[in-house]
Amino acid sequence: MAKNLKMAVVLAVFCIVSAGLLAYVYNLTQPLIVKNAKGSFDLSLKGLIAADSFKQEKNTFVAIKGKEIVGYAFAVKPQGYGGPVEMLVGLDKEGRVLAVKVLGHKETAGLGSNIEDQKFLKQFVGKTSKDKVEPKQDIDALTGATISTRAVCHGVREAMDQCGKITK
Amino acid sequence: MSVWQDFNRGIVSENPVLRLMIGLCPTLAVSTSAVNALGMAAATSFVLIFSNLVVALIRKIVPDQIRIPIFIIVISTFVTIIDYVMQAYTPDLHRALGVFIPLIVVNCIILGRAEAFAYKNPVLASTLDGIGMSLGFTLALLTIGVIRELLGAGAIFGVSLYNPAVAATIMVLPPGAFITIGFLMALLNKWENKVQ
Repeated sequence: MAKNLKMAVVLAVFCIVSAGLLAYVYNLTQPLIVKNAKGSFDLSLKGLIAADSFKQEKNTFVAIKGKEIVGYAFAVKPQGYGGPVEMLVGLDKEGRVLAVKVLGHKETAGLGSNIEDQKFLKQFVGKTSKDKVEPKQDIDALTGATISTRAVCHGVREAMDQCGKITK
Repeated sequence: MSVWQDFNRGIVSENPVLRLMIGLCPTLAVSTSAVNALGMAAATSFVLIFSNLVVALIRKIVPDQIRIPIFIIVISTFVTIIDYVMQAYTPDLHRALGVFIPLIVVNCIILGRAEAFAYKNPVLASTLDGIGMSLGFTLALLTIGVIRELLGAGAIFGVSLYNPAVAATIMVLPPGAFITIGFLMALLNKWENKVQ
């Protein structure tokens, strides 16, 4: 009995010490972690559309310069090969694509991961909802990464659709 | 058994990756580039050295029956600490290594050394064993990372050396890791046979 009690006490003491230590480190690092995540996102938004400020409404970011709306950015998550592809699509108020940015993905390294390439993403600039935006039609697919290419195309399409609903 | 041997053992003769063949999962997954390999090696080394140290410190007060749960608490505490610290100070590296940082918990090098060495040996020897094993892991990971990045992406430490279009993409994919590890093990065996 005493032996069992000793085991329980030792285990409990270790858990308490561990929890205390982790709480301390968590409090120390959490503000920095939150700041990092927000900072990199804000930077991506600013790189998309030249604007003074962004007003967020769910996944839509309305870009405002002076007092005028100059465009919209949409955070979309199309399904890729290895998981959702997190991306930002910036459009002007006429619905033309200004820029596309991939924030995070789990695509295959060396193949699907090339969706981050500027050369690939530049293809979408200037497209409107009248364009097809489909691989092998008006978008050059990445070698060995058809599914990843299609995911980015879907993401751009989705942003265009959402933009169309707002500007109508 | 001298102190020097405790330190030396992990580097070549009992190299965790190329000799004991443990810790292969993170090795295969994150050795796609030299920087990723170094980041992973640093995080694992931190956990390995400190868990060895703490396990050696507490081995007299831990009842035999519950030593494994205790090891897991110690290891996972250090893993969570390094996970938070990397998220806060090296967010890009943390993103690149992704789920493999939390998975250090189940890296068998760490639990293996705690059970096989640190639980039976004093603090100094255990810490040195941790450092030696960490060095061995780092060397193996870095070598694999450099080879894969050089052949698969045409770069070293992110510095482009030749046109990546002619690089063998397979080397940065999982098969490339198996191929590299296989050749490295063969080389190490040949070299050691010669020495003997």
